[in-house]
Order: sequence, then structure tokens, then C-alpha cells
Amino acid sequence: MDFRFTEDQLIFRDAVRDFLDGECTPAAIRGLIDSPDGGAVKFRTALAELGLTGLPLAEEHGGLGMNELDAVLAAEECGRAAVPGALFDSMAVAGPLLAEAAPELAAEWLPKVATGEATIALGHALNPFVLDAGIADLLLMARDGALYAVPRSTVTLTEAPSVDPSRRPAKVQWSSSAGQKILDGERFEALWTLALDRAALYAAADMLGATQRMLDMSVEYTKNREQFGRPIGSFQAVKHLLADVQVKLTFARPVVYYAAYALVNGLPQRSIRVSHAKVAAADAATLGARRTLQVHGAMGYTWEYDLQIWMKRVWADAGCWGTSAWHRARIAGAILAPGTDLGPGRTWAA
Amino acid sequence: MSDAIESAEDQAFRAEARDWLTEQLEGPFAYVRFRGGPGEEDEEFEGRVEWEKAMGAAGWTGISWPKEYGGRAASLSQQVIFYQEYARAGGPGRVGHIGEGLVAPTILAFGTEAQKQRFLPGIKSGTELWCQGYSEPAAGSDLANVQTRARLEGGKWIIDGQKVWTSLAHKAGWCFVICKTEPDAPRYRNLSFLLVEMNQPGITVKPIVQLSGTSEFNEVFFDGAHAPAENVVGAPGQGWKVAMALLGFERGASTLGQQIGFESEFKEILAAARENGTAKDPVMRQKLAQCWIELQLVRLNALTNLNEGTTRPGLAAINKLCWATWHRDAGELAMEVLGAEAEICAEPPYALTRMQSRFLFSRSDTIYGGTNEIQRNIIAEQGLGLPREPRP
Repeated sequence: MDFRFTEDQLIFRDAVRDFLDGECTPAAIRGLIDSPDGGAVKFRTALAELGLTGLPLAEEHGGLGMNELDAVLAAEECGRAAVPGALFDSMAVAGPLLAEAAPELAAEWLPKVATGEATIALGHALNPFVLDAGIADLLLMARDGALYAVPRSTVTLTEAPSVDPSRRPAKVQWSSSAGQKILDGERFEALWTLALDRAALYAAADMLGATQRMLDMSVEYTKNREQFGRPIGSFQAVKHLLADVQVKLTFARPVVYYAAYALVNGLPQRSIRVSHAKVAAADAATLGARRTLQVHGAMGYTWEYDLQIWMKRVWADAGCWGTSAWHRARIAGAILAPGTDLGPGRTWAA
Repeated sequence: MSDAIESAEDQAFRAEARDWLTEQLEGPFAYVRFRGGPGEEDEEFEGRVEWEKAMGAAGWTGISWPKEYGGRAASLSQQVIFYQEYARAGGPGRVGHIGEGLVAPTILAFGTEAQKQRFLPGIKSGTELWCQGYSEPAAGSDLANVQTRARLEGGKWIIDGQKVWTSLAHKAGWCFVICKTEPDAPRYRNLSFLLVEMNQPGITVKPIVQLSGTSEFNEVFFDGAHAPAENVVGAPGQGWKVAMALLGFERGASTLGQQIGFESEFKEILAAARENGTAKDPVMRQKLAQCWIELQLVRLNALTNLNEGTTRPGLAAINKLCWATWHRDAGELAMEVLGAEAEICAEPPYALTRMQSRFLFSRSDTIYGGTNEIQRNIIAEQGLGLPREPRP
């Protein structure tokens, strides 16, 4: 295994980071937080300029033809900047799914996704609420072992406000007859699991970025905040709180990248690598939220202070696309299955 | 160790408390029942003010005070009984808790006779609500570093400075304020404990919105605010001693009432787990079991302290550390039980569910009243006698 990213991948990541540092500031997020879409459309349109909205889509659909290893770095940056909206669900999960399941629909919709004009929302049983359903042009909804492409005009939405005020989940009522069945049988099972794996990967990457941001804010704060005549970051009781987060985050990162690698290369253990990534990232992120709030004292508990933007984001991410309990159960099921090839013989294998 | 048998006197006390609480909370005050708990301090506030007054009129405030000041001289076991019955009956979050639980014991211990006569009746009757002017922007964990100044001038204290995180300052008529009155005296001997009326031109209260979207605490600005010279508790310069003694009262018998609240919160988490099937998940079962184990640990510890008292150095800090950490972790567990549903609010725009409120509120438990880190320092330094952190 070589965990190094290519020069091109890092350049793209840096471009996304620089762009978001300038555009997706806490002030910009707060300015749009009460708007109907929480800013999702504005940032989707802005990120289209970078090509991000077409990143994993085929060139024939106006995309960049990149893969999950390229996209995972961008997802991390979007978490770091707390970009509003379920952008990756739409372009990096629903997009490839549509391309694999329904080429004609893909030809119709994906060019619009690539230019940032359209959003596709995903209704998965693990998420009882569909993110961004209100701005979606098309919804991919599963029922009774089949997947349907459902136009937004035919569904009934009940908005469900999130603890993270930048998110827009909704309950979706829809009828199979209003949609077009695009998958069923074994092919549905396979592609729907692949979609879940992609979505869980990007949720994990989002948490990595968000946790890094909370940690950075906390390092800055504890260096400057003085009590007892010195910076609170000089107290072991405080610095160890943050050191633990750094450890968890450092350990989670290669797990997430390896899951992306497993997706790109279709490894047999793909799903449990993704589950591991989701669990490791959620562990780092929930510890990160808890510890970074603690070192900020009451300041971090206020609405005005920006830490809450990222805390609420990771609390929501942790519950979506499979809780840690769900992913642990999936790992247990796989490693305990009869005949699973584990052990020292696998140490250097993919 | 023995199973304590309730004395006839205590049984009678329990029956009296239960009868009154049931009659009121199923009758005229049914609308405040279970309202205003942690994270929901604004719920039915006016109703809870009326409730405080009704309790006072019936003799259920200040029950531990000496009879000469309107109390019942209730024993510790009776105080516990009252908190048990209060929780059982669904008594609302008290609006007079800062006065009854913090100011009154402080005035009883350190105040002059005139101060007792002036301030205890208003606390007892629920007509004067209090807030706590301790923390400042530069004095949180380092409380002794307060910069708010007061000087005696023409028979009055003139106060300038700022307090922050002041709970209920927007509702309270009075505030106790730690401020620097002896600028030339060394640290810990330069402070005084003043009683200040809130409704005056020199005081501005600015609410702080919390991450829950609600606003329970405030910034309080003092700009030439006044207080009569006699409104100092203890001698000028002794404020630190008084302030620290008050923090000891904060973790007294009332933690038992809190314990009962925790038990019912835990029951709600279990009910949610049963309802959504999480209770069948082996990992979640372990976590729920662990949560119960730690809750019982907090409970048995609290009961032990009732016998021994919390005077042993470091014990109060152990209690605070235990229950705050339990409550924070239980909040996280509740969200984990709810899974993807956890993020969904009760109704637009931002009305939280009870479990969400508790989850968010319990983020502050390990911070307010001394962070976990400060509690561990106290346990190590005062409990174990380890050397103090070096101070500049």
C-alpha cells in the first residue's frame, strides 16, 4: 500500500480549500442559514466553477471523470468549511448510481448536476429524512427491493428542521407509480449497497474535515485564552484533551483513505472498509466535538461562537448513512462469516 | 450499613409534603408540572414564579432554615424527603433556587442580623429572585482574577465592570457580585461579596444566546451601579472566603433531587431504545447497561455523602465531576439511541425535543460551576494533598 496522494490530487484539494476559505466563511454560512435552502444552491453554484459538482461524473456528462480517491479529499475540505447542503449525496453518490443504473436518465440529468444547475436527492432506509429534498429536481427512492427515479413535482415534502440549522432534511411521501423503476433484483442490491458505501465514505470524510477545523479553532483559542496568568493551552489538563483528538483524527484519516481506495479498486472487503471508516471518523468527530467544546468553556456553548457550526454538523453526520452501531454490526457480520479470509496472510494484501 | 427506617416524624413530614405537592401540582399548578428543567429554563417562567410564591406561602421554601427566620429547621433526612417528593410530584424547575440554595445559606453563615432580616423574607416568599455575579470575561476558571471594581463613596458602593454567563440576570431583582474592593491587597484578600439591586440605571443586562437557540444566561454591565455600604457580606476583603463557602452550598442536599431527575431521564432513554428497536442491538445494550451502572454510582455516592457530609476535602469536587460527566455522556447516548432521528427538531424553526434540549444543555454540565479539569485539580490538591499547579 502506498498512502501518498498524487501531486494532481493535492493540487485539486488545495484549490478547493483556498476557494472555500475565501467563499464559505462562517459569516457567509450564517448569512444564509435562515434562507429556504440554507445556502445549498449558492454554494453548489459557486463550487461548479471549480468543477467540483462534476468531479466524479463521466466526461461525456460534463464531469471531470475523477474517482473516490480524488473526491474524498474534496469531501474533507467541504467538511472543514462546513459547506451547506448535501452536495456529495447528489453529485458523488446519486450521480454515479444513476450513470450505472439508468443511462438515459443519466444523459438527461448528470450534465445539469455537473454544471451545478440540478440536485438529486437520495432516500435510503438508513436515513428516514431525505436531505435537500426541497431543492432536488429528481429523487432516487428505494422501496421493496427496487429503486425509482421520482420527479420532485410528484412528491409531498414535510420539512423537518435539523439541530444543525444549515441542514434541510424532509420527510418524503411518494408513490411508485409516479416514478420510473430503474433497478430491481440483485442489481438493485449490489448498486444500492455501493451507493450506501459511497455516501458513508463521504460522510466520514466530512467528519474528518470538520474535526480538523474544530481542533484548529481550539488550538488557536487555548493558545490565546489566559487564566491563572498563562495560556490555558499550557496546562496539561487542557492540552491532553486536544492531544487525544489529534490521535483519534490521525488514526481515522488513513482508514477513510483506504476505504476510498477499496471503492476505487472494487476490493472484496470494500463495505467493511467503509464501515470501519465511518466508525473511526465518527469516533474522532464526537470526541472532537466534546473536547473542543470543553476547552472553550462557556464560550463554545454560545450561538455566536462558530464552534457550534461544526459540532452540530458532526453530530448529524454521525447519525446519517448508518450509525456507528449499524456499521460495527456490519463489520462483525463480515468478519465472523464462515470462511472469511483474515489473519497474518492478509497483512500486506489489499 | 443498615436499612434506615424512617422515623415517625419523618413519615409524617413525607405525608405532609406529598399531600401538599400532589394537591397543588394536580390542581391549580398542573400547568407548571415537569416544566423548566435543565435546558428549558424559560418554560412557563411566570407560572413558576407564582409557584415559588405559593411554595413560600405554604412554608415549603427555606425548609432547612432556622425557625426564627421562617424555616422549618428540617433535618437533612427531611430535606432529602422533600426533594424526593418534589421530583415524584413533577415539581417544576425552581426559579428561586439561587436565592434559596446559594444566597440564603451564605447570609445565614456570614451575614449580619440586619441582612438576614432584610433578605431572607424575600427569598422565602419567592418575591425576590437572585442571580450570581461571579464569572467575568477574564475570570472563569480563574475566578479570583475578577476585574469588576467597587469603591465606597458617600456611604455607597460604586461598582464598575462586567460579569458574564449570569444565569437569570434578566429575571432577577438582585445579584450577588464578587468584586475587587481592595486593589492594593494580595490575591484572595482583595475581593468583597456585595448584594446589588438589579433594577437601576447603572446596570445593563444583555442576553447571550446559547447553542440551543435559547437564552438563559447574560452579560451584565456595571457602569457606576450603586449598593448601600451595608450590603457587603463578610468584611470587605473577605469576599473570596465567602464566595468559596457559597460554592460548597451549591453541591449540598439538592443534588439528591437532581439524582431523581437523572433517573427519570435514564428511563426515557430506555423507553426510546425499546421503542425504536435499538434495545435489541448488543452494542447498545452494553452502552445502556454501562450508563445505568454509572448512574447508580452517582446515586450511591450521593447517598453516602448524606451520612458523611461533603466536608471531606475534595469530595464535593468528586460529586460534581461524577454527575456532570454522567449527564453529558447520557445526553450523547440518548442521541445515539435515536440514530438518524436525533437531529430532527420538534417543530420549525428551532423548537428542540426534550431529549435534544437535554443533550445540548448537558454539554455545559462539565463546564459550569467549575470545569472537570478544575474539579480534578481540586481533588488532587485538596483531596490528595498534591502540590499546587505552579502559579506565576
